[in-house]
Amino acid sequence: MADSFTLPLRPVVEQQNRPDTLPVEIAQINSQWGSFRDVNEEVLRAKIAEEEARDGALSEDGEGESSDVDTTERLEQLYKRRADITQFAMQSHMETTFALDFVSLLLSKHAPRQAETSMSAYLKQIAPVGSLHSEVVNPPPKPESASKDVSTVSRGWRTQNFNSAANKLLTASTRLEGEITSETRYWNEVLAIKENGWKVCRLPRERQALGVQYGFLEATPVFRDRGLASLRRAENGSLILDKGLIPSGSRFVRVHVKQGSNVFTSSNPTESTSPDVETIEQRILQARDSVFEEELFHELVREARSMASSGVTTRENLIRIPASDEMEIQLELVDSNDDSLQSDQNSPQRDSLLADGLAHSIRLLLAFAHRQNMHRRTQMPPPLTSKKRHTPEYHLLRPALAYLQHLSSVKWLESYFSDIFGVLRSSGLEPAEYISDTFSTWKQISLSPVAPRVEALVEKFLRPIQSVFRGQLLTPNGSFAVTIQTNLSGPPFGTFFDVSFDLPTVSDLKSPGRLGMRDEVESAITHLLLLDVVSNIASKELPAKKAESPEPTGSRKCKWDAVYPHLGELLLSSENPEKHKKMKVSLTRSGLGLSSYVVRSIDGVGRGAQERPSLHSQPSTWKSPSISASTPDNGSSMMNFIVAQASHDE
Amino acid sequence: MHELLLFASVPVHQHHELLQQLTGLTAMQPRHLVERRLIFKAYRKPGLVTSRVGGSQDLQQSGDLQRVNKMLNGGMFYTQVVGPVSESDFSTSGPADPDTQMEGMDESKPTAQGTSTYDYEQQPWKLEFRDIPEAGTRSAVTSRVMASASLPCGDIIPSMNAWGYSFVTEYVVEGDVFIQNDIVIYLHRVLHYPSGEQEHREPRRHLPVLKEMTPLEKSGSYVLQASINVLDGSNQETMKTASQRLFGLREQLKSAVRLEQADRLSLDTRAK
Repeated sequence: MADSFTLPLRPVVEQQNRPDTLPVEIAQINSQWGSFRDVNEEVLRAKIAEEEARDGALSEDGEGESSDVDTTERLEQLYKRRADITQFAMQSHMETTFALDFVSLLLSKHAPRQAETSMSAYLKQIAPVGSLHSEVVNPPPKPESASKDVSTVSRGWRTQNFNSAANKLLTASTRLEGEITSETRYWNEVLAIKENGWKVCRLPRERQALGVQYGFLEATPVFRDRGLASLRRAENGSLILDKGLIPSGSRFVRVHVKQGSNVFTSSNPTESTSPDVETIEQRILQARDSVFEEELFHELVREARSMASSGVTTRENLIRIPASDEMEIQLELVDSNDDSLQSDQNSPQRDSLLADGLAHSIRLLLAFAHRQNMHRRTQMPPPLTSKKRHTPEYHLLRPALAYLQHLSSVKWLESYFSDIFGVLRSSGLEPAEYISDTFSTWKQISLSPVAPRVEALVEKFLRPIQSVFRGQLLTPNGSFAVTIQTNLSGPPFGTFFDVSFDLPTVSDLKSPGRLGMRDEVESAITHLLLLDVVSNIASKELPAKKAESPEPTGSRKCKWDAVYPHLGELLLSSENPEKHKKMKVSLTRSGLGLSSYVVRSIDGVGRGAQERPSLHSQPSTWKSPSISASTPDNGSSMMNFIVAQASHDE
Repeated sequence: MHELLLFASVPVHQHHELLQQLTGLTAMQPRHLVERRLIFKAYRKPGLVTSRVGGSQDLQQSGDLQRVNKMLNGGMFYTQVVGPVSESDFSTSGPADPDTQMEGMDESKPTAQGTSTYDYEQQPWKLEFRDIPEAGTRSAVTSRVMASASLPCGDIIPSMNAWGYSFVTEYVVEGDVFIQNDIVIYLHRVLHYPSGEQEHREPRRHLPVLKEMTPLEKSGSYVLQASINVLDGSNQETMKTASQRLFGLREQLKSAVRLEQADRLSLDTRAK
């Protein structure tokens, strides 16, 4: 940089023409070494030897010291040197004191009071104040040569000083130029950041420094304050993101879903870039993601603690949640450049869909919670009290868990319905299809005019989840409906089944209402379907029996009569009191069974010892198609069996 | 309940800039607020009212109201009934000359009042009682006893008359609200109804064109009011916290506006 500088700062070196150089030097040698006539080889050799000897002694001396001196000697030497230093110091102190005393005594003539303060006590004792006087004397005129020397020396000094000043100025200009380039670079980068939409501001605590705000304003105060980092300038002017004491590594929340022996892992939501190509923008992004993830985990832990009653356990960096039957979810805060992550990435991506979905949903919900905080913050505040306001835990895990629980319940109910309807179908009955309306609450479009659409969308996930199964029964006008409702956000917690029936043939039937256990639901619906089958049989008209009716009452309709519908028992009365017929229907998830008996009693209603199995019939069963795939079907439908039983005569 | 306040006057040319500054400071968008304010004056001697308290008992917030009622009957006070309205409630037709807003020209008569969707019967009201600011407080904030209670919607005159209050006048306050750290920052100004109208003996059932309303302060300047409510005014600790917060805000806004205590007597609500 110095050569581009055009101002002549260095003093011009005059090329003095000194014609008398050689004679002067000769004169100098003559006076120093004597005449040239005395120089011969011996003298020169002796001189060289002498110089060598001196050099050698010096160098040996230097070597010897370091090797020979042992510790005690060193110590002694150290003390000696210290004593020397002290002595020097004392001596210089003494000299200074003398000088001070001298000057004070001299001044005491003119300003006695002032001079007295700097005089030593000893001097005050022995010399009265103002006893020394000074006068200016004219110095004797200096010889011409001396004044010439002085002027030459001062000229030399001046040249030297000019030189050093010029050097200093030039280095300063170089430094300034470097500074300007790096400042320009710094400010360009700051501007680039600002143009990318980041908020650049002055740091509140350090007014001279610039900072960039990348955090979330609505986060918990601890994390909100962490969202501000100062932009420092490196030596070469590039930006450094200075986050203070916060560790620079980025971390994220990883979701494991354990299903049986399989473990599925969510991927890293933020693509980590290799550290050497990082720009400042990427670093800011990384810092933002990191602070978000750490807040996410913090909130997850807070929520998990409140969910300890559901079996959720927390460790330092791990949350375990038993989600449903055989699924466990683990949430973990890990470093993004963790090595174990890389090996996990090899697992097929398709399977980690659930884990990824869970990971996305908790992040969405945290962002939603931030928006809620914003709403809460901008509402009219309640009056101040001395009580501290508690910030409720965010709903991050609970909606996700509710979904999983609900899904598991819906799947269970679906499999149950497909089983039992399969049984009914295999027996030749034709039940109507049931309609399932799963996650119906999510499908409702409710647009509140105030909240933005996105928030309205997410808000649905926080409300109770509801699924409805509806179907028609075999009996005309009969219907059933099962509503599954899962709510983990507020009481009543958990999953409930609301079962309701409408079966006109059985008048005393009451809907069981809200049930909590799956077993109860299964037995309730099975019982309902049994009643349905029984009433269906009872409504069926049987063909008139020809052999049994000598009287012209052959046209009399005979029917199975549902005597104990709740037990699945039907009766076919006959004129012969000994020959009442009874049929028993049993329905389970795996099969439907019919067996008939001959009952000997007057009204045919009696039970117990008077029953004996009907001779002609084997109890007939229909199994669900999935189970009876291997066993040969008996080929006939249930209705055929009923008719056959009725027409058989003992 | 106590209310602690600081005020500042904001000239109209600074209004826009201050809005932006407040938006940045509070990290929220301004919430525009237009309120109808009805002024009522107590006209009965306190002793007379007690026998007729029964009129309020069928109201929902009877407990709340009775407490306020008791407070109100201790002395004779002016009190305010505040009803939030939206800008769409004002009439839309009329001379659409924006210049009339500032000048308040008399010839701009309100016409065709039926064009707005304003429904007086559905107008919610809130009774706001403010005592005269406490005297002799050494702290540099205005503090006063306050109480608010919700009132039934619609025509409020019968209820107020039953409590011994008569309608005096009404005006409109428009402004923007910010909230920071439990402090409500209200940058507002008072608007008068167009002066051409005849004097009303009861609240208007229709609102005129908003642009025809004339500001009380002719230059159109705004008032910045920072207030914080304290539930228990006898608790020195919370009162101190509240005023500390106000001072913090004053410090933050120092370079923009000067928030200061209001003159006590100018906020006198006693009816003489």
